[in-house]
Amino acid sequence: MTTEEIFNQVSLILKNTFDNNEIDLNHETSANDIDEWDSLSHIELISNIESHFKVRFALGELQDLKNIGEMVELIKTKI
Amino acid sequence: MLFNSYIFIFIFLPITFVIHYLIGKHEKHGHTLSHSWLILASLFFYGYWNFSYLSIIISSIIINFLITHYLISKPHTKIKKPLFLLGLSFNLGLLGYFKYKNFFMENMNLFLNSDFHFTHVLLPLGISFFTLQQIAYLVDVYEGLVKKTPFHKYALFVYFFPQLIAGPIVHYKEVMPQFDDDKNHRFNIKNINLGIFVFILGLAKKVLLADTFAIWANAGFNHTDTFHFFQAWGTSLSYTMQLYFDFSGYSDMAIGLGLLFNIRLPKNFDSPFLARNIIDFWTKWHITLSQFITTYIFTPLLKAMPKFTFTNSMISIFITMCIAGLWHGAAWTFVLYGALHGVIIIINHIMKKRKIKLPKFWAIFITFQFINIVFTIFRAEKLETAFNIFKGMFGLTYFKIPKGLISEELILKSGAIIGPHMNNDQNLNLIFIIVSLYIVFKLKNSMQLMQEFKPQTKTALFMSFIFVLCLFGLNRVSDFIYFNF
Repeated sequence: MTTEEIFNQVSLILKNTFDNNEIDLNHETSANDIDEWDSLSHIELISNIESHFKVRFALGELQDLKNIGEMVELIKTKI
Repeated sequence: MLFNSYIFIFIFLPITFVIHYLIGKHEKHGHTLSHSWLILASLFFYGYWNFSYLSIIISSIIINFLITHYLISKPHTKIKKPLFLLGLSFNLGLLGYFKYKNFFMENMNLFLNSDFHFTHVLLPLGISFFTLQQIAYLVDVYEGLVKKTPFHKYALFVYFFPQLIAGPIVHYKEVMPQFDDDKNHRFNIKNINLGIFVFILGLAKKVLLADTFAIWANAGFNHTDTFHFFQAWGTSLSYTMQLYFDFSGYSDMAIGLGLLFNIRLPKNFDSPFLARNIIDFWTKWHITLSQFITTYIFTPLLKAMPKFTFTNSMISIFITMCIAGLWHGAAWTFVLYGALHGVIIIINHIMKKRKIKLPKFWAIFITFQFINIVFTIFRAEKLETAFNIFKGMFGLTYFKIPKGLISEELILKSGAIIGPHMNNDQNLNLIFIIVSLYIVFKLKNSMQLMQEFKPQTKTALFMSFIFVLCLFGLNRVSDFIYFNF
């Protein structure tokens, strides 16, 4: 899968998880930029991503996933 | 050794600093020598308080290192899980014994009406901090995130004196690559200027503000009688300001000291009193602890739940916050402190879900009131003291309004009592509270100032002036609140 494809799928999962279609996303977007993205919804988002891509993140990776670009890169290394 | 002491500032720090860069200049291959020097200095820094604590901190890292080293070298070993659990139990056991044994025995005696005799153990300094850091490392090793690490690098990651006693809690990923970087072993005037700047900011918060507020807060919390309105607010606000300036001052000093050695430590505070709710507050207050708790306690707890539902998440939050409360110390007031945070975070999440949003001013105002109340519980050794203060704050005792503040006619009309004129000490307390409220609500915080920092003569002069003022204040050397946790 290319970076762009992963990005598009991640965007879709994120919008569904936060139940908000108007979120404007790019590779630099991070948790600070999105109101709905707090530590609780973060875990929901991660488990949705885990089941979609059939990957597993380690606990120590969770903080790195608070930025879309880094998240996409990490998913890429795992699939 | 305290950061705010003459021996630290004028003897320990200059010697450690100079030798560190001398070694850095001459060490051709690797950084074993320069790391070893910093480890040695950090152990001296730690052992200076109490020599016997050294045995605890040294055995703690040797055992952790042996276990993690084995797990990294043999990632597919059959005993991976048992070894991990052994390491985890060792760390939790150490914390349990030194931190919670007294509490457990006392409560057992109380509830079972028994009379077990036990020797009180003294809490080794910083144990909560260096244990957490090592637990995080152990979990990451178990999950295969860590590469082989030499002992001196691991030891420095735990012992590095700027963050050893009271954080910021660092993740190995943040600091280990910095320890390796060749250029970080060379003198860097930019970082040194910045480091001195942030260190003095932190020192001023501690010495000029926190230690001054401590006088009023201590007097208030030792007062056993009823509190009237002004006295109650003076006491609780003094403590809230003391705690913030004490702990964020300590973190600033740690960050500044890190920079003197070209190590960037993570930020720990970000104008916490501007938080609009308690979820927000924990992203601005003791940030490195909230990250640890979210990652290593809350997430596994929630993942262990059968289903990801809102109710399960709220239960996990509540349990996590109670544990976070207890981490601060072995007392029921700390559990209550954590539980109250848990309840308010749950309310905040429900509000968020229903898209209820308060206007900015009221959101900040209400959040600050809540923080001020829970900090009062946090400080009170007995719940009774906290409730006495609350009674005064909410006018349940009596209003005694000092003469001269508003017209006497108005005071009598409102049913309050006219008290004597405010004395100098009370005036000073009021001025300090007003100035501090201005600082925390209106001024840029030290991390923002750090980003905008430019070395200029006027900044240097101003900071030198503040530094000299602080030096006069060092005579009343006091501990940091978070040393007890």
